[in-house]
Amino acid sequence: MSAPVVSINHVTKRFGGYTAVKDLSFDVPGGGIFGLLGPNGAGKSTTIRMIMDIIEPDDGTITLFGRASSSRDLSARVGFLPEERGLYKKMKILDHLVFLGEVKGMRASDAKTKADKWLQRLGLTDWRLKRVEDLSKGMQQKIQFAGALIHDPELVLLDEPFAGLDPVNLQVMKDVVVEIARSGRTVLFSTHIMEQAERMCDRIVIIARGEKVVDGTVSEVKAGFGERHIALNFSRGKETAERILRDRQLVAKVDDYGASAEVLMAAGIDPQRLLAALVAAEVGLNRFEVVEPSLQSIFIAKVGNAAEVPADGAAA
Amino acid sequence: MRKILVVLLRELNARVRTKAFIIMTLLLPVMMVVFAVAPALLSRGGNRTLRVAIVDATHDSLGARVEASLAQQKLSRDTNAVPRYELHRVSANAAGIAHVRDSLVAHTGISRERDPQALDGVLVLSDTTLVTGKLQYLGSNTSAFEAMGQLEGAVSRVLTTTRLERAGVNPAVMVGAMTPADMQTVKVSDGKATGESGFASFIVAYIMGFILYLTMIIYGQQTLTSVIEEKTSRVMEVLMSSLRPFQMLLGKVLGVGATGLLQLSIWGGAIWVVTSQHARIAHAFGVSADAMQQFPIPSMAPDLLVVFLTYFVLGFLLYGALYAAIGSMFNTVQEAQQVAIFVQMAIIVGFFTLFAVMKDPTGSLAVTASMIPFVSPFVMPARWSLTAVPYTELAVSLVLSVVALLAVTWVAGRIYRTGVLMYGKKPSLMEAIRWIRAK
Repeated sequence: MSAPVVSINHVTKRFGGYTAVKDLSFDVPGGGIFGLLGPNGAGKSTTIRMIMDIIEPDDGTITLFGRASSSRDLSARVGFLPEERGLYKKMKILDHLVFLGEVKGMRASDAKTKADKWLQRLGLTDWRLKRVEDLSKGMQQKIQFAGALIHDPELVLLDEPFAGLDPVNLQVMKDVVVEIARSGRTVLFSTHIMEQAERMCDRIVIIARGEKVVDGTVSEVKAGFGERHIALNFSRGKETAERILRDRQLVAKVDDYGASAEVLMAAGIDPQRLLAALVAAEVGLNRFEVVEPSLQSIFIAKVGNAAEVPADGAAA
Repeated sequence: MRKILVVLLRELNARVRTKAFIIMTLLLPVMMVVFAVAPALLSRGGNRTLRVAIVDATHDSLGARVEASLAQQKLSRDTNAVPRYELHRVSANAAGIAHVRDSLVAHTGISRERDPQALDGVLVLSDTTLVTGKLQYLGSNTSAFEAMGQLEGAVSRVLTTTRLERAGVNPAVMVGAMTPADMQTVKVSDGKATGESGFASFIVAYIMGFILYLTMIIYGQQTLTSVIEEKTSRVMEVLMSSLRPFQMLLGKVLGVGATGLLQLSIWGGAIWVVTSQHARIAHAFGVSADAMQQFPIPSMAPDLLVVFLTYFVLGFLLYGALYAAIGSMFNTVQEAQQVAIFVQMAIIVGFFTLFAVMKDPTGSLAVTASMIPFVSPFVMPARWSLTAVPYTELAVSLVLSVVALLAVTWVAGRIYRTGVLMYGKKPSLMEAIRWIRAK
């Protein structure tokens, strides 16, 4: 693992009497896609806004690229897509993208070249001289997306980037995100949709009620979750197999479907041991599959009722 | 610094391209040409020779004197100009006056093609006119105030001279006695006559104050609105991630200020063009240059221009920062207005202090007012124009203004920093103070 691009140390943020983020610590390693997951009101946006130095933590420190300086001093290296999307409605799209590039410290001419490239990629070249207000909401989202990436930032923070996108645009944005990660840069995005995170993220942090619940690579998280199901299908030696499956040291629970069975491994037991035992007993297997728990099920198990916490505007 | 410039240019661009700006900017020069040319165009009809009949029922020579006096009047000052009136005197006695009048009125207000004897009006002088001053004019042009005024003035002068003559005053003495006072005022600065008239200095002081007042009210309000727009459209979030609140605040206030300056320069240029190209414009509209309305633009001395622009920038930044801070605290213009009204009041107080200062530019009120930061932008340039201000006073006033500006931008920046991210309920005064004190 390379040096962390973002390092969050014991950060706490309160709004009035409400604690939005509580003693949160995690590192975002350089390169790859990092998912910040959590139910509505968990403190995802608050965390991202603190990373961006839009709001300051009450306690704890946040460092970017290993430096203590404000992310605004490093803003040329960071791209940010806020949850609340907003553009100047009366501005022409090309001008707007150039402006967003310039406030990141780009030269106007470079920004214009980049803006044209992005517009072409997003299929909006014909719209470049139209005003923002003439665009559909989906198009405006794409413009905002391009605006966050126009200066080729090393670190990209996307707050709920896929919310409200149709499947076609979702695909386009997803490809862009994957491409950034592949080029060695770092993407941190927040979402409450687990399937997206599961498919895209290398590492995740799940937070609930402002506290960290889960932290690690997706496979670590799944492994650490402990509950592993094995799907089995027998061709012969079913009786022998049943005897092995009854061993409570090895197997916690069996769902018998006749020719097939679903097995929950005992805590801390490598499925490999079950396979070895079955092979040694010469049980014929059509299928031996370790079914990983979905992030969705981990999320529900870990976060539980936290998902029902009413969304708070300040900490959504 | 570069980022402030980027924000400034965006702001300027966004503003200059609006229809409101283009219309406002073009409207003033157009209006100026209209106001300059229209009176001449309109009075072209009225400035022709009027055919007036005089019904003379006076016992003495009054009717003849009036006729003689009116006959001398010309349409312009040229020696070979056309006479103003074409006169036709009809004598009548007290009994026949109504009959004669009515027969003449029958020819009045008819076009000359239809009636070669057509008249523009009938002036009726009765036997009591000399004593009571009462006379009657019946005409088609009675609503032409200027023409009526000229006619009445002429008759009035004849009445005065006739009455005095009757009282035994020598006509030559009379002409001499009636010459009015004509005072020339010359402004003195640093013991030297500047060649400017006192009136010109007064006008300059007034115009400077008015420009400042108007720009503050209009563009200050625009600053406030634009901050609220950024909040409601949530552009703020993106900006916050790239810019410091101070950069945003300063860029915005300077951008709006630059828009104001641009508009002022266009207007200033237009005034200059209209004045210097006065003859050509007159020619283009086919009116005589003399008849066209003149805009006297008194020249502004370079030192005055420097003082004015310095205070204009200081004042604009001072008030602009306040407006921006207020805008950042609220989510709707209506809410913000309730607080912005206090800033507007300060501007109005500043503007009205100007009038007191213009009466007595060296008095203690003027000197004090030119030291108070929120008032000095109005007062100091006016004093500079009206009197010789000691350099020490200027220096103290400038230092105080700059200190106030730094303090205000600091406070505004802090309010702005917290305010722009606050949505929902209106903050109380106590909360705003807490924002300022927050680390």
